[in-house]
Amino acid sequence: MPKRVAIVGVGMQKYEFRKERTVEEMVFDVTRNALEDSHLSKDDIDSVVFGSAVDAFCGINNSDKVAIDASGGLLKPTMRNSTSGSTAISTPILGYTHVASGMHDLVMVICYEKMSENDSAQAVFNTVYDEAYVRPIGLNVPIQCGLEARAYLHKYGITERQMAKVSVKNRGNALSNPYAQLPMKLTVEDVLASPYLSWPVKLLDTSPVTDGARALILASEDVARELTDDPVWIKGVGRGADSVYFMGRKNKDLGRLDYAYLAAKQAYDMAGIRNPMAEIDYAEVYDPFTYKEMQHCEAMGLCPEGGAGRMIDEGISLKEGPLPVNASGGLQGEGNPIGAGMSRLCWCYLQAKGQAGACQVPKDVNNAVANGWGGMYQYNAVMVIGRD
Amino acid sequence: MAKKKAVLSIDGEIQINYKWSVGKAGDRFFTELRDHKKIMGTKCRQCGRILVPPRIFCEECFVEDMEWVEVEPRGSLLTFGESYFSTDGKRLKEPWMLGIVRLKGSNGGLIHFIRESRPEDLKIGMPVEAVFKSKPEGNIMDILYFRPANN
Repeated sequence: MPKRVAIVGVGMQKYEFRKERTVEEMVFDVTRNALEDSHLSKDDIDSVVFGSAVDAFCGINNSDKVAIDASGGLLKPTMRNSTSGSTAISTPILGYTHVASGMHDLVMVICYEKMSENDSAQAVFNTVYDEAYVRPIGLNVPIQCGLEARAYLHKYGITERQMAKVSVKNRGNALSNPYAQLPMKLTVEDVLASPYLSWPVKLLDTSPVTDGARALILASEDVARELTDDPVWIKGVGRGADSVYFMGRKNKDLGRLDYAYLAAKQAYDMAGIRNPMAEIDYAEVYDPFTYKEMQHCEAMGLCPEGGAGRMIDEGISLKEGPLPVNASGGLQGEGNPIGAGMSRLCWCYLQAKGQAGACQVPKDVNNAVANGWGGMYQYNAVMVIGRD
Repeated sequence: MAKKKAVLSIDGEIQINYKWSVGKAGDRFFTELRDHKKIMGTKCRQCGRILVPPRIFCEECFVEDMEWVEVEPRGSLLTFGESYFSTDGKRLKEPWMLGIVRLKGSNGGLIHFIRESRPEDLKIGMPVEAVFKSKPEGNIMDILYFRPANN
């Protein structure tokens, strides 16, 4: 049986394009913030895990070595994790296993990404694809996601107007987030009038290129109870991966994310959650594009399959709604530093603690779910957290 | 308010050339494509699935028990996209179009350009066929593009 693991501290910082801090300085900033938040010192931390998706963004291979000193990791066990965008959640899952196994009592989890230091983030993304069969076609992320979004809209009858409502919600929510890069007060018409990148994806359906980092401190049950009277536990974790050859998957329907449903089921089974729509109070789902929030709401069981259009139409996922999603602004409003999308989990923690400031939702948050997605439609990672 | 002075930055570039092996399966695939304008797949002798791109193993049965079969150069559109930006994000006057094609009679497919059509002519599930380059070189661009076909 895994031991119980709690989140006991969080380190935030502002997301920006062309952040002046180096990777090392960004990591130091969030590490110090997480230690202050948990009233711990660096010497209390047993080990450090790093997550970052694509080193070619910052142009420094094995960039995790830059984070050793700045994370308090000197002469400690450290490990780096990378599963494209799902690094955002698979890294805290890696930290979780260090504590749940009984190996360590206090683990620092740091995710960072410095995307802006190259002259084309999309050219970097092209190097993620298969070199012989896919890359020569010139694929980049907006086109990849246009292909997927078309399949999703076709399968479930989702509309561009419903997608636009997600953008209005998330960028609007970001107005309350002091760490946000792209808060905007928009109308649905603004989003619909923004230029197409790749049908049905328009400029205001996307997320920006971002520099940033996040830290979380995980603790064993005994240590967590010494630190706080009201621990936020990691209740369930799950991951799923699907074939690198997306053209030949068993499920020909690229609109349905089988691997995300699988990851969510694992996490909910472990957490003992049977009906997420009733039992999850708050969600931060991975929303690099508007339709990705919708797909992920469905896969996380926050609405019926194919029901994400109705969910946004009925205002269910609004900050004041019965099941708020991305009240922080999500990747679209807060910024999208791929692996550092761990911010989704950080905001679930802050909401559960009642420390989300102006982003706090007007309801009790006992159970929350966060997910990460990445690759050429390959990975999903899910974490369910909550209070006793 | 005066604009904050930016910290210094230094310029750099990473220029590295690669020579990627296409592997045992890719060698046959790209050789047949170049020499005979054929799209080849590997068929698992245990489950009968035909893989394109080909592999030397079946990821389901987890055996290396495959035979080579020719796959028709036609199939159906699983999805398609039009992009108004180049790969590195530069705005284009005319969109370029891509599709994911499930090749007929196989369990696999290819992602490639879609041409000789406008976006409004395309539908998910419609038949498309490959158009080959006249002087092939042994890479995926030996298929120039796919275009709408008769059923």
